[in-house]
Formats: sequence, structure tokens, C-alpha cells
Amino acid sequence: MIVTECTACEDERAAGATFCEVCGRKLAGTVEVEAPAADGKQECAHCGAAGSVGEDGYCQECGMMAGRSRDHLEADGGVAGAAVSDRGRRHHRNEDAMWLAVGVDAADVVVSDGVSASYDPDAASDIAVRTAGELLAGARHPDQPPPAGNPDETADLEGLEQPVGAVGLAGSVAHAIAGAAAAVASLAHTGDPRRAAANPACTIVAAAVRGPHVGYGWVGDSRIYWLGPDGVAQQLTEDDSWATHVIALGVDPVTAMNDPKAHAITAWLGADAGPVAPRVRSFTATEPGHLVLCSDGLWNYLPDPADFTRVVRDCLDGATTLLGAARALTAYANAAGGADNITVALVPVRPVNDLEPETTEV
Amino acid sequence: MSYTAETFQNEYLALGASEVNAIVTVTSTGGDGGRRSGGATEIIIVDASGSMQAEGRIGAARQAAKAAVECLDDGVHFAIIAGVSTAQQLFPDPGQLAVASPQTRAAASHAIDRLQANGGTAMGAWLLLAAQLFEQRPGDIKHAILLTDGDNGERHGYLDSVLNQIKEKFICDCRGVGANWKVSELRKIADSMLGTVDIVARPTELTASFQQMITAAMGKTAADVQLKVWTPVNSTVRFVKQVEPQVADLTGKRVEDGPRAGRYPLGSWGQESRDYHICVDVPAGAAGDEMLAARVHIMEGDTEHARGLIRAVWTDDTALSTRINRQVAHYTGQAELADAIQAGIAAREAGDERTATIKFGRAAQLAHASGNKATEDLLSKVVEIEDAVTGTVRLRRKVAAEDEMALDTRSTKTVRVGRGQ
Repeated sequence: MIVTECTACEDERAAGATFCEVCGRKLAGTVEVEAPAADGKQECAHCGAAGSVGEDGYCQECGMMAGRSRDHLEADGGVAGAAVSDRGRRHHRNEDAMWLAVGVDAADVVVSDGVSASYDPDAASDIAVRTAGELLAGARHPDQPPPAGNPDETADLEGLEQPVGAVGLAGSVAHAIAGAAAAVASLAHTGDPRRAAANPACTIVAAAVRGPHVGYGWVGDSRIYWLGPDGVAQQLTEDDSWATHVIALGVDPVTAMNDPKAHAITAWLGADAGPVAPRVRSFTATEPGHLVLCSDGLWNYLPDPADFTRVVRDCLDGATTLLGAARALTAYANAAGGADNITVALVPVRPVNDLEPETTEV
Repeated sequence: MSYTAETFQNEYLALGASEVNAIVTVTSTGGDGGRRSGGATEIIIVDASGSMQAEGRIGAARQAAKAAVECLDDGVHFAIIAGVSTAQQLFPDPGQLAVASPQTRAAASHAIDRLQANGGTAMGAWLLLAAQLFEQRPGDIKHAILLTDGDNGERHGYLDSVLNQIKEKFICDCRGVGANWKVSELRKIADSMLGTVDIVARPTELTASFQQMITAAMGKTAADVQLKVWTPVNSTVRFVKQVEPQVADLTGKRVEDGPRAGRYPLGSWGQESRDYHICVDVPAGAAGDEMLAARVHIMEGDTEHARGLIRAVWTDDTALSTRINRQVAHYTGQAELADAIQAGIAAREAGDERTATIKFGRAAQLAHASGNKATEDLLSKVVEIEDAVTGTVRLRRKVAAEDEMALDTRSTKTVRVGRGQ
């Protein structure tokens, strides 16, 4: 999912327009990228029968699933961000979902990973990213004056590095994740007894970027890393997982990670999750870098931060576009086995005084 | 009238596995307010052979037939056939159907009083006459009751040829009174005509039995519902069985319907729910492959009322592929239960007590484990159940013929598994 906005889009949307009068972009809903044509009949990739794929997505000859639109999704926000979600090599469907909306100096990005043990986890991750993504669109740029008629909020600006600005974004992210949690929880009550018995569940990680300010939050074990101009990538999130929990209690990390329960998550979105308390944080970039959001389909193959850093840098250096780099990271996970669904999103963040993109200030 | 088809299965298969099982629960809301929009025709066939004089059977049969006529809704077409060495129409005039009203019900009652037991048993001829009468009412919901107390007296093979000719043209519920009739004979008719078979051990129970059958028949609002099953290339349907409310194998009733699809008759429907077990053999796929193993459609003529998908997903994750689906496991057990009881009865008749003990033991175990209390109670009249958990039983020395026949006819009755998987 991607929305690319021009400078006028926000005002047009605020005015209730369905399409932006300036750039013509559809403002209600989002634009899907790379979804295979579902209208015309496709050729079956499995048995080769022409025009044999029926409306339910299965070949009318051999019965094989012809591929779902979610098997491989790409979102291209140009230099402002890119995301790729892929089924991987061992799972029969993609239960990850992603959301990317980019504007001028702004980006909203959400990654969600469906919990396989639940029923219809793909529906959970899908509604989670949509709901959170739409709510994040309301996050205000802390350095820009608030909309007229809101005098209470005029005092909180001017200091470029003021944490106050980014903290406001963390609140927006918390609000977005809370909305996603409610939406996912509602899936258990659609009348299907299987959904009631094993309610759809998922993780979520979301970030709102406004200029140099980043607000982010998460529930579960999908991660955000911050990759600065040099040095090792910093994991901004702490997994809500059994291993992280017991390591925090003093258990030896190697022992903990080798335990079969290591990857069991201790927090998630879903009707059985109880009250969801997302952990949200914020920071303001003082040097250029990239936010890397990913599901465990990628980071499982790169548990060591140094390895992760090396691979991400190789992919960024080896590709001419952010989308190319995101594709390369997905390909890396697939080459390593593709045991799980893989979703990766790359969003660059620049400090406010970084006028020339290639200038590095340490 | 609206239908739903719900599929229960573990779609995950181990690598190399090629057998796909699913339970499809078909539920119908019935007609608008439970009313029939079309017509209905009911034919009551009463055995009037000489043996019916015993134990006051003919008197009870007269009473039951009258009670049945009383249960008919106004406007329903009906007829009564007296079963002797030939088929004789008792009411109305030969070749006619009456339309139920207070007047025709009273006239039918009078005619039933004239019913005398003094002939032979010719089930093929009786059913053939019923079929001829039903032919006047295309599109109606057609239901017949066949009551007998003895063996068919027609030449060997005649009944089979009649059944072959009239199968599925109407629904026929069969009841045997007393213990001198053959379960296998009535079961053959019931299976062929998509009906039920049961024993009415005492003649006094006939009235209640007839009333129950007519009430159920009057509740039907769709005449001819079918299950259409599509399967992909190189796949075969191993079986299609109704598994609830009772086991009935529909596999042999398949009629081809276009490429890779076939139809199985589900009979007439009211407001009700039935479960079907469908088993398909497919070519094994690779890890991560997802295949549509079958698409099932609930059809009435060319109208599709509901559809369900039976899927196969191959995985190397044994935690997924070894999951047992409760519905599939439960009904696989219920079908085995029916088979074990029938095999046990056959072995005992053949004098093979060892096999009979093993089969009844297995049946006791299955009935107990699945909570099928009714069948367990029937079993306990034929064998002493020492330990149902391990299936330890002892054959009873003296078994009433009625008890064994009740066990036989009701062996196919199943119980529904609790939902929630």
C-alpha cells in the first residue's frame, strides 16, 4: 500500500475532497501497487493452462492456487521510502502486511506479522496496517504551526532539537496502534466460530516521520532499526518475546535464544490480548540515516546487529533506489531459506540542517 | 430459502500426502416462515399380508395410517396403497391422487377401515405403483412411507430392478413392525430412495412413528437438493458420505455434471442441518503449494445456493500437518462405529463369535468415546459391556431379535460433535 502526496493533498483531504485538485491523487483509500490483474483470466503458473484461473484464485484445471495479490507486494515512495512484503519460500500465503504513505518531508510506515497459530492471521495483519496507517495520517508535523483555530498548541515549537516535538509523534503512534488493536480484536466477533475460538492476531510496528522527528511504537516482535551514517545499526524496539523477557530477568542470552519458546511472543494484537499497551518512543535525528522496519522473516536470519548492519548497507549501496534495496533485503532472506513471510520497509530520515543529501555530519 | 455450506478440515498436509478430508455442514433456513412454496405429495403404503393379523398388527397399522392422514396439511396430494401380492390402491380411486381436506381425510379414514390382512408381500410392485402415482406431480416434494412385517415374496432380483428404475424419484422411509422382516432388505430400499429405516417393535408404537414421519415430511420445503463436487485434474472423489444425522454413503449415486464435476442427491430439505464427509485423492504438492482439492456447491436445479472450498496446503511443519480436525476425526469414528456394528451382527449370524466379539468391542469403544449414548445403550442389549474404554465385551447368550434389529437399523445414527475448532 502506498500513498504519495503532493504539498496540497493534506489541505484537500482536510477539506473533505476525494481527489486532490492539485495532483489528482485519490485521497480516499489507498493505491495498491503490483497487485496482479484479478479481473482478466490468468494463465496458470503451475500447469500452464491458458485463462484457467477462476475468480476464487484457483486454477480450474489443476486446482493449484494461482497466487494471491499479497504473495509479493511492493510500495515505492521514491526517495522518501520503500517497502516490500513477500510470502517467503515455505509458507503458503503471506500473513505479513505493510503500509507506507509518504508526503513532503513526511512518512507513515507500518509493518504487521500475523500470528500463524491464530485463525485468519492475514486478515489481522491487513486490518492492523490499514487502521494504523489511516490514523497516522493525522500526525502533525511538530515544527509546523498547527491548523488555525487551535491556539492551545502554538507554544511548543521553534527549538529544532526539542524532544517535545517528537514526543507528540509518539502520542500519535500510540493512538494509531490502539486503533489497530481495537480493529484486530473486532475480527473475533464476525460470526465465524473458528475466529471466535482462535481469534485472529498479529504483531505491529509503526513509525511516523515528520521532518527530523520520528515517533515509533510496537507490540510483538516486529522490529525497527536505526541505521546511521556509520557504525552498527541500533535496534530501537525490544521484542515482546519470551527470550527477551527472560534475558531481562537475568537468564543467559544464549540459553534463552536456544529455548524452543524463545520466539514465543508475549504481547500481540487480538481479542485475547487483553488491554494492549504499546511501547512508544520518539527521537529527533541529528544525522542522516534510515529507519528499517521488518518482520522476523528478515531479522531471524540476521540476529547479530553487526551482520544486520553489513547486509543492509550492502543492499543500500548495491541498489540505485530504496525499492531496489528493499527487494535485495527480501531476496537475502529468501536465499537464506525464506522460512517465514518477509516484510521490510526503508525510510530515510534527515536532520533539519542537512540541506545537501550527500553531506555527512558526525 | 437460504443455505450455508461450512467446511471443517485440517488443510495442512505432510509432504507426500495426497488424501484430503473435510466435513461440510450444510444448513438451510427452510422456506419463508417454514412454508412450502410448491406442492407436496404423500403416499402411504401399508403391508396387508396375512401375517399382519398377528399381534394385532393390522389394527395398529389402520390406526397409524389414519393418524398419518390426519397429519397431512390441507392441499397436499395423497394416496394410500394396500400392500398384498399385488399393489392395490386403497384410496382414492385407482390411478388418482386425493387433495387433503377435512372431507378427503374423512373418506380416507373410511377406506382404511376396509383394510384386511390377507395377501402376500410384493414390495417391488408396491413401490412401482407409488412411483406411477408420483409421476402425476412433477416438481412436488414427494414422500412415501412403507410399512411391512415380513420378507419380500417377489422373485429374486425383481425388487432390485424396480429400485434401479425408480431410485431417487421420491423419498421413502421404511418401517418394519415386529421381528420377522429383514433389516438388509428395508435398508436397501431406504438407501436407494434416500430415506430412513427403523424398527417398530410393538404395533402400539406405530401411530407415533407414522405421525413423526409425516410431520417431518410436511416440514420439507425443497424437493430435490444436490451436492455438486468439482475436483481438479488427476484427482478423484474417494467418497461422499452423509454423516449426520445418520450415515449414508452417497458415493455410488454420483451423476457426472460437466468436466471434473459430479452431483450427489441430498433429497428434500426443510429447516435443518446435515453434515457430509468428503474425501478426495489429489496429486501431492510441494512445500508451500496450495491446491483447491474440491469445490462443493449446494444446488437446486441450476440455482446455486451455497458453496464451500476444500483446500490442501502442503507443509513440512509437522505441528500443522499432524493437527487432528475434530469434525473429521469424530465422523470418521461414527462411520467406523456403524461398520463395526453391522460386521458384528453379520459375524454372529454366521456363527463366528470371535469376530463378533471383536467388532462389538470396537463398537462399544467408539460409541463410548464419541458420547453416542443411544448406540451404546442399544449395544448393551446385545453384548455385556465390561469396559467400554478398552472395548471389552461379552456376547449375551440370549438376545431378543427386536433388540438386535434395533441395533442394526440404528447403527447408522450419529451424534454431532461440539463445534469450536
